[in-house]
Amino acid sequence: MTMEKIVLPDIENLHQLDVYLKNGGYSAAQKAFSLTSDEIIDQVKKSGLRGRGGAAFSAGIKWSFMPKSNDKPKYLCINGDESEPGSFKDRQVFEFNPHQLIEGTIISCFAIGAKVSYVYIRGEYHKWIKLFQKALDDAYANNFVGEGMKQKFGTDFSCDIYIHKGAGAYICGEETSLMNSIEGKRGYPRIKPPFPAQSGLWGNPTTINNVETITNIPPIINKGWEWFASIGEPKHPGTILFGISGHVNKPGVYELPSGTLLTELIFNYAGGVPGNKKVKCVIPGGSSMPPLRGDQIEGIKMDAESLKIAGSAIGTGGVIVMDEDTDLVKVLARIAKFYYHESCGQCTPCREGTGWMLKLLNRIVRGEGSKKDVDLLISVANNIDGNTVCALGEAAAWPVKFMIQRFRDEFDARVKDEIMIPVLNKVHSMRKTANPLSPVQN
Amino acid sequence: MPHFILDGKEIQFIQGQTIIEAAAKVGIDIPHFCWHPSLTVSGNCRVCLVEIEKMPKLAIACSTLASDGMVVNTNSVKALSARNAVMEFLLINHPLDCPICDEAGECKLQDYAFDHSVGESRFVENKVHKEKRVSLGTHVMFDGERCISCSRCIRFCDEIAGVNELTFINRGDKVTIDTFPGKELSNPYSLCVTDICPVGALTSKDFRFKSRVWDMSSTKTICSGCSRGCNVEMWVRNNEILRLTPRYNEEVNSYWMCDEGRLNTFKSVNADIRVNGPHIKRDGTLVKAGWDEVFALATSELKSYNKSEIAVLGSAFATCEENFVLAKFAKSVLGIKNIDFAKHEKPNSGDDILIRDDKSPNSFGAELAGIHPLKDGLNFQNIMRAIDEKKIKALYLVEDDLVSLDEDYKKILSKLELFIVHSSNFNSTTELADIVFPAATYAEKNGTWINFQGRIQKLLPAVMTVEMDRSLDGMAMSRLDKFGTEFDRWGKSKKMNARPIWKIITSLANALGTKYKYQTSEEIFDEMSKTIDLFKGLDYQRVGELGVKLNVTTLAKVKV
Ligand SMILES: Cc1cc2nc3c(=O)[nH]c(=O)nc-3n(C[C@H](O)[C@H](O)[C@H](O)COP(=O)(O)O)c2cc1C
Ligand code: SF4
Ligand code: SF4
Ligand code: SF4
Repeated sequence: MTMEKIVLPDIENLHQLDVYLKNGGYSAAQKAFSLTSDEIIDQVKKSGLRGRGGAAFSAGIKWSFMPKSNDKPKYLCINGDESEPGSFKDRQVFEFNPHQLIEGTIISCFAIGAKVSYVYIRGEYHKWIKLFQKALDDAYANNFVGEGMKQKFGTDFSCDIYIHKGAGAYICGEETSLMNSIEGKRGYPRIKPPFPAQSGLWGNPTTINNVETITNIPPIINKGWEWFASIGEPKHPGTILFGISGHVNKPGVYELPSGTLLTELIFNYAGGVPGNKKVKCVIPGGSSMPPLRGDQIEGIKMDAESLKIAGSAIGTGGVIVMDEDTDLVKVLARIAKFYYHESCGQCTPCREGTGWMLKLLNRIVRGEGSKKDVDLLISVANNIDGNTVCALGEAAAWPVKFMIQRFRDEFDARVKDEIMIPVLNKVHSMRKTANPLSPVQN
Repeated sequence: MPHFILDGKEIQFIQGQTIIEAAAKVGIDIPHFCWHPSLTVSGNCRVCLVEIEKMPKLAIACSTLASDGMVVNTNSVKALSARNAVMEFLLINHPLDCPICDEAGECKLQDYAFDHSVGESRFVENKVHKEKRVSLGTHVMFDGERCISCSRCIRFCDEIAGVNELTFINRGDKVTIDTFPGKELSNPYSLCVTDICPVGALTSKDFRFKSRVWDMSSTKTICSGCSRGCNVEMWVRNNEILRLTPRYNEEVNSYWMCDEGRLNTFKSVNADIRVNGPHIKRDGTLVKAGWDEVFALATSELKSYNKSEIAVLGSAFATCEENFVLAKFAKSVLGIKNIDFAKHEKPNSGDDILIRDDKSPNSFGAELAGIHPLKDGLNFQNIMRAIDEKKIKALYLVEDDLVSLDEDYKKILSKLELFIVHSSNFNSTTELADIVFPAATYAEKNGTWINFQGRIQKLLPAVMTVEMDRSLDGMAMSRLDKFGTEFDRWGKSKKMNARPIWKIITSLANALGTKYKYQTSEEIFDEMSKTIDLFKGLDYQRVGELGVKLNVTTLAKVKV
């Protein structure tokens, strides 16, 4: 089956500038400069392109939030922090198609009126930072970026692109935290409003988009929005880079039209489960998204709307497959550990709640949990959900809530009716699990 | 005016105000830890989550702008359970040190736990442990376990003190605050962080473990450290001042005060070197004497000099009332012209925040009350010169340690034949005196000071002298004052045999044959308001707790 690939076409050495040029590289930019920025934004809006960074928000609408006036500098941030467990698709762009990202960046900058763009790359991505820097250097040397682009494209617009290396914090992938990080501040998310388009980098209008989102821009400009809108699911069109991992024979990144069946992805593209074991659980969009039961994945399409109906979300398209022998309690404890470790600690529910959930889960894993602890876990997750500064709160709460909700039997099998916990406090040598006497309502 | 509905009540607001601000303006406190009216909004504690109609998620009242017709609920099931949840989260790792915590009694966490918590903990895990005794700087101690990471202290340093001295370090529930490597929390306002810390995480080294807050009385008065005249609360237990805290007055000091004022102004009141009862010099040393004896001596001595041989020095530390009575006494009883007071300027010691160069609280008021040379009279410098030249032989000085101002004055003052001093403490100036009247300190009397802005502000007594009684004189009372008994170990407080200047001058005037009838400081103020233009229409009531700015246009003509 041949399928059109938009972000990662099967062209050898496409990462090299000459190969990219031979395949029509930078012609979309040339075309874009003959359009007005409003026309570009309109095209992107009509194309239906939705963000690939997790929230699947319309890219065109996001751009239209940028003020038209030029009294303040404007910025574009490209989010390549890619730290969500199960997500490893943006690095493919840095490695295999960096110029399309660069081209997308200059078109996007032109569209929103930004003279500077920061590409924020996850700190651990040493290799990909180098690869992308090489491509960027080539683009600069050949006047596709920077002052030289004015002459190259015959336009009076120019912009600069800088790579900003992260320092190992997942939270810096959150858009406002990312901006603080670029500003040299502690990676704390900001409260919204004001939204980045009103007050972003150094208080100036800023747009933040995912690497994959921006890489989709040049083909949309080149081939027109109608073409893009006709690919995949109409409400979430285009291709999606699915990074599939876990218990599959051929883990990797597959670019497929949105709406591809989850089962197709697992059993066809990723080669099925080793040993032909049954699938117990699938997390469809990176570790923060609600897990699905393996016996319920039949017919589920991989796009934002379909997954919402199925009770999960597309997230970053990072699909994690777990076979029937997987210990989901341990899995959840490991996921909880990640969000505990990555909570920035700014706001109360996430700072305190992530640690609490981890402690509860670890205790259950050790066989020291009670039935009440499982309920307590859900209650703690509910108390975090929706009450935090940024969406890491939800990212930490959802897996707990939904894993327990959908695999309650696994948890119940691991806990006792009642449990005695040795307490370090010397005064009380033994204490019963506290009664959630007054359940906090949600 | 636009309005919104808060728990069924109509609240008016100004465009641009947040829900919490607008509510606070009409005296409704929406629970909050991190929000502070003088700091930027950080929105991190999440305790002010409220339910707003037509909004899908709860919103934080501290950052959500009020809008016309908005319907806000702080007590809906959703809002209530979120608040309970946040309180539970805050408490799970909290050490609950309340019984030994300085903050207990004025702790937001305690108060809100009482008001908004379920009362039972569902947390049975081990708590997160952090450093409990971290010295952040000369004055401030940090307890990491009590910290609720509200960032108020950090924002205070950044935004008010203007120095980035504090920061968060680590992540998640390991977050704690720290100074930068090798640096200290050392700004001149560092102790303000202990006021705004909503819990007992930041404490004053000076005050730590000194007293439970409810065992102290607190009196609304003024700091004596400089001509800013920061509004303060003076906290007293067992008739001893234990701490000063800033009292909100937007016109003067907002919520703040400097460390110097907070720490180093009140200690002299508690000091062991207080002048306790009148003293006269016998055989070269000051010895205690009775009031009548000293009045008699002072009267006869003063009478034995020519008017031109006497000078009177008022004080920028004394009240307006005291300076007024003193000036009146000098002019009409002693009939002299050499009247002035010493300035206490320390050039370039002030800043753009609060601290002023003028290290006295009332130079403005002293001058206004009449402490300045009469026509042909000598000013302060000339008085000192005249003493040096032995032209002036008798000096009457109130509340000013001149020798501390200039060592050279010691030699000059030694040349005096008669040196009468009012002083609260023994010092190198009183050493030279022939008669020392024990002066009640600013903490022991009523009166007014005028700050550098021309704002007249009221002092209230917080500490009793032997002539005062806490309950009879309407002074602030603590729980101990009300319910403590003679048998409590703290029941036997130390009281000074000291009097305010006006009272001593009144006695002296009477002894010299001029009838002065002043019974209270307030009576003097009322006389001033009749005789001094700038005070027209003022009385203690009108001066109130926050003071009154004197008429600026007239002010310009007054030399400060
Ligand atoms: C905790 C957290 C981590 C995130 N990490 C990333 C990330 O690594 N990469 C990314 O593109 N978006 C990440 N996001 C989403 C961004 O905040 C933002 O929505 C996205 O970059 C917008 O791009 P898009 O509209 O093109 O999807 C994260 C969000 C949260 C709450
Ligand atoms: S939700 Fe978590 S990560 Fe986000 S701001 Fe709050 S503490 Fe930080
Ligand atoms: S900070 Fe408040 S709640 Fe915590 S120990 Fe001190 S008084 Fe108790
Ligand atoms: S020390 Fe106090 S003021 Fe500072 S962050 Fe902690 S709780 Fe807030």
